[in-house]
Amino acid sequence: MLEVEDLAVSYGGTTALAGVAISVKEREAVCVVGPNGAGKSTLLAAIAGGVPPKRGRIRFDGKDLVGMRAENIARLGISLVPEGRHVFGTLTVEENLFIGTYAMSDQRHAQRDAEQLLGYFPRLKERWRQPAGRLSGGEQQMLVIARALMTRPRLVMVDEPSLGLAPKIVDTVYSTLLALRAERGLTLLVNEQSSDRMLKFSERIYVLRNGRILLHGNTADLQDGEAITRAYFGFDEHHTPATSEAAA
Amino acid sequence: MINFAQTFIDALSLGSLYALAALGIGLLFGILRLINFAYGDLITLGAYALIIPSTEAVATLFIGGWPWFMVIIAVAVIVVAAALLSDLLVFRHIRRADPATLMIASFAVSFVIQNVILMFYGSRPKSVDLWSNLNYQIAVSGLRIPLLQIVTILATLVLMGGLTLLLKRTALGIQMRAAAEDFRMARYLGVRGNLVIGLAFAISGVLAAVASLLLLSQTGTLSQTMGVPLMLFAFIATVVGGMGSLIGAATGGFAVAFASVFLQAYLPDDLRPFRDSFVFGIVILMLLFRPAGLVPTKALVERV
Repeated sequence: MLEVEDLAVSYGGTTALAGVAISVKEREAVCVVGPNGAGKSTLLAAIAGGVPPKRGRIRFDGKDLVGMRAENIARLGISLVPEGRHVFGTLTVEENLFIGTYAMSDQRHAQRDAEQLLGYFPRLKERWRQPAGRLSGGEQQMLVIARALMTRPRLVMVDEPSLGLAPKIVDTVYSTLLALRAERGLTLLVNEQSSDRMLKFSERIYVLRNGRILLHGNTADLQDGEAITRAYFGFDEHHTPATSEAAA
Repeated sequence: MINFAQTFIDALSLGSLYALAALGIGLLFGILRLINFAYGDLITLGAYALIIPSTEAVATLFIGGWPWFMVIIAVAVIVVAAALLSDLLVFRHIRRADPATLMIASFAVSFVIQNVILMFYGSRPKSVDLWSNLNYQIAVSGLRIPLLQIVTILATLVLMGGLTLLLKRTALGIQMRAAAEDFRMARYLGVRGNLVIGLAFAISGVLAAVASLLLLSQTGTLSQTMGVPLMLFAFIATVVGGMGSLIGAATGGFAVAFASVFLQAYLPDDLRPFRDSFVFGIVILMLLFRPAGLVPTKALVERV
């Protein structure tokens, strides 16, 4: 479904991604783990059309996404939930939820989809007409996930959904993602810093560090966590382990 | 008391004009982070569109001689076209540039428009008689109110009401508000970037067109820099109101106009020539205490 090959992105002179290749199959839950600054967010943003790649190919259903506008990539059925939630704070919960369907002039299922999603996120219904900026962090995370699903995407990319949330709320977020995935046949690509949770959540894992994929495998084969830890902290690299970076 | 009421209405009318222009500037800034200094020249252009291009001293009315609603529509079309053209030729190519670059590009557009007007119409100011019957004064319990002031205030109310409805009640308006707050996130959700930007340019063009007609009926004189002072005060109004907030822009427009008109009326005679220094002094003082303006926006704080 999604094929990324030899993807390189740099900001000014800094290299964020250097030749990254990943693939995601229909209905898979795939996870990219890596420390802060590894390039995870850049990878998702590049797929969604938010940052231009320096080189490489990104294909979705065989269609080349490189050079396409973000709004047109969204129309193909890819939805990104970026890191840091990004609710439209002055818009109401209702307006936030319907932005995508307004933009794609797709109102046919909007009302019913909203009802259904609110079943998963009842708190949002209580806050329906309030500015989204007043929601708690957990509620905002629920809102952006629901908002991303309103346009009926097939591939949902979620960037660090656990960032800044209490562990209990993070559990809710993930169980909801899994339930929605089962119900709608979604394909998921999720970024996380911690690999523990991903071992339960995903079917395949990529470890990204310093803009490169250092490890890739089926979650089932990586359950002891040893190989991930080595890749994550850079013990497999040729130079001396960068312990200070790993600590950060 | 009569004097105060008269001054109050003067301020309300001037504030309407500032608010209109400030809304046009604020709308573009909200979505594009563009402080469009060519906005004043769009206002100038709207006024010049009323006469036949010639370098002669006497102006011959062209569009200006049509029925009033035709004048509004024609001028709006011309100014909106110019605004969209400035986006197509200049701003579209530097979308990812930082705000300072955008602002400098807008200075360039401003010079181009001024010099095009110079080329076709000559440099001499021309007097134009547009809607002079609006200077008729209505006497209301001791007050003498020029009809033009009432029309200015009403026109502003109608446009602000329309803009509010558009932004709050229509699918396109809600997309515009979302884009103003977080442009990239809006695009991730399918909002068409060029559509909302084009719409912002178009709306700012309509506001500029109405502002230019009101300004010209007030002054009766065309010059190729006539829109510049209005742009300057409108820009100050958006800063006072809080960059990025439309309510702030309108509030700022009225605040600057009230300060200006009331200082003019109540300053001692010797100090009146320095009125603008006092206005700007108040603006500086206000910004020292509220640097984000009267209506601060969270979106801006996050981006800076």
